[in-house]
Amino acid sequence: MRKYLAFTRGSFMVGLVYRFGPLLSLIGNFIYLGVAYYLWHSIYKNSDTLRSMTFNETFLYVAIGSAVFILLKTYVDWEVSYEIREGIISTYMTKPLDYQTYILFTSLGQTLMSLMVITIPTLLIITLVFKVAIPLGMGTLLFPLSLLLAFVISFCFDYFIGILAFYTESVWGLSTTKEIIILALSGALIPLQFFPAKLQSILLLLPFQTIYHTPLMMLTKPDQDPQIFVSMLIVQVVWAVVLYALTRLFFEQAVKVLRIAGG
Amino acid sequence: MSLIHVNNLAKHFKVLNRREGLGGAFRDLFSGDYRTVKAVDGISFDIEAGEIVGYIGPNGAGKSTTIKMMTGILKPSGGEIRINDHVPFENRIRQAQIMGVVFGQRTQLWWDLPVIESFKILKEIYKVSQKTFDEHMGMFNELVGLKALYSQQVRTLSLGQRMLCDITASFLHNPQIVFLDEPTIGLDISIKAKIRTIIKELNTARKTTIILTTHDLGDVEALSHRVIIIDKGKKLYDGDTKKVNALFGAYRTLKVQVNDFDEGTLDALKNKLAEQFGATNKITVAQTEEFWTDITIDQALTPLSEVLNCVMTNFSILDVRIVEIAMEDVVQRIYDGALA
Repeated sequence: MRKYLAFTRGSFMVGLVYRFGPLLSLIGNFIYLGVAYYLWHSIYKNSDTLRSMTFNETFLYVAIGSAVFILLKTYVDWEVSYEIREGIISTYMTKPLDYQTYILFTSLGQTLMSLMVITIPTLLIITLVFKVAIPLGMGTLLFPLSLLLAFVISFCFDYFIGILAFYTESVWGLSTTKEIIILALSGALIPLQFFPAKLQSILLLLPFQTIYHTPLMMLTKPDQDPQIFVSMLIVQVVWAVVLYALTRLFFEQAVKVLRIAGG
Repeated sequence: MSLIHVNNLAKHFKVLNRREGLGGAFRDLFSGDYRTVKAVDGISFDIEAGEIVGYIGPNGAGKSTTIKMMTGILKPSGGEIRINDHVPFENRIRQAQIMGVVFGQRTQLWWDLPVIESFKILKEIYKVSQKTFDEHMGMFNELVGLKALYSQQVRTLSLGQRMLCDITASFLHNPQIVFLDEPTIGLDISIKAKIRTIIKELNTARKTTIILTTHDLGDVEALSHRVIIIDKGKKLYDGDTKKVNALFGAYRTLKVQVNDFDEGTLDALKNKLAEQFGATNKITVAQTEEFWTDITIDQALTPLSEVLNCVMTNFSILDVRIVEIAMEDVVQRIYDGALA
């Protein structure tokens, strides 16, 4: 464990080296929040609640959603496919390291960096600039845990796309497709409540919603029955474990391409 | 039992025969037309603890493929490898703990961070204790003057400095075996000499077994008593470096640029040299690149100065370079029976 934490520390430091990147993300996010604010404001013009969500809750959902998006965007798919294509992966395979764990902890460092310089400032912007109050409750306390699980699940999708580089030279198209699928089906842009009921019930069975919808609901509606939160977390844990194990098996299979066909 | 035991090792790759053009590229999508490339084809050797062995051969001989099999990255298609009585790719993580690897063309250091951070990360990866870490860093500092580089970002290091750091980094966890794959590639003479000294000193101080692949005979000459020469996946020679040196160490290639070069020049050169030094002097004349003519001589038989003198007085020469014999020529001469 300690040896992998060294990678978290390292990639966190790399984040500090390139300190202007996060600043630009923050500015971009601020503009997005402005647009989203007025968009939802006009949607809520004639009613206080839509689909059992108030304007306050919806805006909070969308705003935090955008911060979580930046948080989870650790470019693991690009990084892994690059290491495979350039043969850098060989260097790591000569070390006493588990590749998946190493990549997970490296991207954790980036996420912690974003948490500090993007998520926390975004929360401040929401409360100070847009004057939207953040409700507190049981869900608020569980949010960090849910976010961590969302990070692992999102990591698995990225890692899976990255490993495909063993088979295809370029993962650009696959990566873009994955991005769109997750954004559309996870409730990252629009809360799932706004989807048609049938579609909603299907989306709730898929893993994508556990990346955005689950943690965001905990934050926007923090005073629900604790039972609901527990079952949400259980779903997340199950998906995290299943996807982590599946991508692990897939890596063992894919790495044979390298083992047999050469680096 | 020797530390490294390699028996009849083979690695065959299946390569798709690619066709020309756009149409060919489309047909390749459904092609089953593979050919087998025998990168390593039945190599055997044993290496004892503490040895430095030069593993040499021309480009594409199968050197790196052998290293990749010994480090557990590649799975052999045939034969066996045992390191410390274990199969490398079966228990990769445990095996990785006892070896260090440097791939000359890549770095194991973190590109964006100061040098010392990479050493700290390696310390955690290999679970090196703080005491050992301090000792080793002190030693590296004495050898390389590493301290001056500590705070420099890896990306700003020169190729030579980076290589020094990479090599010392591979010794950090006190491995039993270190694989150095082309550690001096692309470096100039002075830094090459420094790197050789450091490898030698680390080997003496730690009794580390070192496998050195290179296509620079000078590396082997300076470092190892034993050399394994391979070509096209097969072992050509395994034995004393002195013997190879005695044979090829005295060879030099005189590269000359002849003014008004034409088809007759090569023969004219050959005849002139044969006339002056006799027909059995083993001097070869060949054109290997445009404008340059290579005259390879054995200094034990014919003094370099006399050959140079002869060429300079009889031909109009624009430029002259003297280089050591190329790996390809050594291999060719072994095929021709030089070491038999």
